[in-house]
Amino acid sequence: MNKNRLSTVELREAFFAELYKKAFLPVARYVSRMGGTIEEAQDIFQDTLVIYYEKVVSAEAEIIVSEKAYLLGISKKLWLQHFKASSKNQPLDDLDMESVPDQQPASGRILHYLKTAGKKCMDLLHAYYYDRLPATDVTVLFGYSGTHSATVAKYKCLEKVRETVKQHSLNYADFIE
Amino acid sequence: MNDIKTIEDYLLGHLSDDDALLFEANMILNSDLADDIKLQQNTYAVIRQYSRQKIKAEITAVQEKLLIAPENQNFLQRIANLFKKD
Repeated sequence: MNKNRLSTVELREAFFAELYKKAFLPVARYVSRMGGTIEEAQDIFQDTLVIYYEKVVSAEAEIIVSEKAYLLGISKKLWLQHFKASSKNQPLDDLDMESVPDQQPASGRILHYLKTAGKKCMDLLHAYYYDRLPATDVTVLFGYSGTHSATVAKYKCLEKVRETVKQHSLNYADFIE
Repeated sequence: MNDIKTIEDYLLGHLSDDDALLFEANMILNSDLADDIKLQQNTYAVIRQYSRQKIKAEITAVQEKLLIAPENQNFLQRIANLFKKD
């Protein structure tokens, strides 16, 4: 999988649409057999795609022989977790598919604040840390004059967001220890 | 600024063994540094949550588009049939 295929919204759209066509039917069949509803199948498939996306862009991406089988595997795992959490919908944030330590959920207030006050920074950080785009791609996408400026901007944004998180943590215990 | 980069390099495992050792010794001696590291980890967690919400919104948009496309109606009917109660 060529990561550059996923650097823009349009490219990601095509990627996700293809996965829907490829694997949604077997996932829906599984959920139906387990007694779930079509809405549950859709929710599970959405979370499956998020996890798969994270896998594909991650540094330790491996070669996946059958995308369909892989996606069905993730969906089954999610369904079983969903099932264990009884009828309550477990949000994706609580699932820890990656072995990244320290995933405390941030309070909604911080996210809300950052979405409004710091959207540009958040989008830049999203491209670097989540989409894991190379500095050259980030430079072009965000219109920086060169990779050096893009990198400087990244650290400035990280500092800004860190400061926001700090202020919010000082106000209240926003993070669960 | 340097501090934020060094913490990132440490957290992402980009420091050499010697530098990492030195950094960890610093962490023990300097409680402000330890606090900053914790804070920075929380910052990455916030970025991840923000990003997940965003990518999920993109996926939802794709799903909605597929649902209304005429060429997909057969496919969608097959899926709907799976959930028919008879």
